[in-house]
Amino acid sequence: MSVFDGLRFRRGSSPIHQLDPRAKFFYVIVMFVVAVLFNELLPLVVLFLIQIPFVFVARVQREWIRSLRGAAFLAIIIFGFNFLFTYLSGQYELSYVLERSFAMSLRFIVLVESFSVFFLTTSPDHLGLALEQSHVPYEFCFAFTTAVRFVPVLAEEAQTIMDAQKTRGLELERGNFIKRIRNYIPILIPLIVNAIRRSLELAEAMESRAWGATEKRTNLYVLKLKKSDYVLALLSILLLVLAVYIRLFLPVPQLGVVLRI
Amino acid sequence: MTVIEAKGLTYTYPGGTRRALEDVSITIEKGEFVILTGPSGCGKTTLCRCLNGLVPNFYGGKLEGEILVTGLKVSEHQIYELARHVGLVFQNPENQLFALFVEKDVAFGLENLGVPRDEIRKRVDWALQMTNIENLRERAPHELSGGQQQRVAIACVLAMQPDVMVLDEPTSFLDPLGAQQIFDVISRLNKELGITVVMVEHRLDLASRYSNHVVVMDKGKVVLDGEPKDVFSSEAARLIGVGIPKATRLSQVLEMSGVRLGRVPVTSEEASQVLKEVLSRD
Repeated sequence: MSVFDGLRFRRGSSPIHQLDPRAKFFYVIVMFVVAVLFNELLPLVVLFLIQIPFVFVARVQREWIRSLRGAAFLAIIIFGFNFLFTYLSGQYELSYVLERSFAMSLRFIVLVESFSVFFLTTSPDHLGLALEQSHVPYEFCFAFTTAVRFVPVLAEEAQTIMDAQKTRGLELERGNFIKRIRNYIPILIPLIVNAIRRSLELAEAMESRAWGATEKRTNLYVLKLKKSDYVLALLSILLLVLAVYIRLFLPVPQLGVVLRI
Repeated sequence: MTVIEAKGLTYTYPGGTRRALEDVSITIEKGEFVILTGPSGCGKTTLCRCLNGLVPNFYGGKLEGEILVTGLKVSEHQIYELARHVGLVFQNPENQLFALFVEKDVAFGLENLGVPRDEIRKRVDWALQMTNIENLRERAPHELSGGQQQRVAIACVLAMQPDVMVLDEPTSFLDPLGAQQIFDVISRLNKELGITVVMVEHRLDLASRYSNHVVVMDKGKVVLDGEPKDVFSSEAARLIGVGIPKATRLSQVLEMSGVRLGRVPVTSEEASQVLKEVLSRD
């Protein structure tokens, strides 16, 4: 669960929070593409480092570290597999294999890092607005924001149901792994039934407030791209161009070799 | 001017065996504050749903009889057309707020109608002010108390500037203070804006002071329909199990034990007035 904890939005007012979600998303995509372009350690370390200022400007260090901690487990598995298979193939020397395996786990970390910055600093309603203004059909945007809105409600309801079932003698932390999962069935069923009932009431309320009255829906808010958004987009483009140039025309040295010099 | 006119309404939910409404006929005039009451499952909610077209347009099934709301035949218009004229507020405040913060929720109906942005802004501000929740503008629904949520729900409906506001047990999830605040807001809308109010309510002690028309339903039928004091003092209302206001009940008991009061009080203030008169008579 800790990975998701590191992705949950908290209100803030830093310059990063103020950026347009579309600009930030573009930056995430660029990070993604650049990270996939390289499988050498050096550029990935650079990618990892250039994102750190963002985290500090946005003041989300603690959540960010939590997301990395959550990702660490998967990163270790990635390292393990890469190491195992490249080493067993027997074609490469150990230092190269180590560096390549590190690079692969770092690539994953970089991806988690950029997504984490994005989700930690983008409020869901801005995200919904950005979706709307990117011509995603309104039904999907609505479903998205409503889902986010009902997360705390359902969490509270799950707690109530758990308490109710426990007072009736349900023991959640008992038995082996399979048994423990099965213990959760008496909690899931009422939760799902309630959610369905709730959705019916929601539908009624939506209908009563003129849902679907016109094709041309208006919106109380508009997202406008500001200067800082263009700056971020421009920087992202520069980064992308630079990365493609390096990939195509320059050799990327091994980090170990660079450090030895 | 008549705002709501129902004649011989009969309705069964699809798959239902019992008639939810049976030969219901009521007339509601513009500016009235109507309290609709009766035991659970008597068809109050179904009648509310008829007023903005959820029955039959959303629930399906066939609605017999005729119902006109602000001059529109309910069965011949879409729910969103009726939504401009009739606002419906539901029992559970939580399930009628779907945006991530209050202001956006209040704007939802207007956005759906395609109202221009400046106009939405104006009407949202106005609705928040009328319901006294301007300070909650930026809050998320789950951060609010039940009473605040219900006031937001009222603001959401109010922003669409309806002629009629229908509230289906708006206070049943609230504590007495929260309920009182809801009644104050509704009564303000009724008095200052002339909005016709139809409210399903069991807390008659609190609510009846605002009302000038009471309808009692039982088993899908309208059993009593008239002024509050006439309805509450009738024997039928007591037998059905309507929560008659204590002031009215007290006067009944006094009358039975031979004290002549002369008129029927509905609120505690009226009761105190009547009792004062009786005491000074001696």
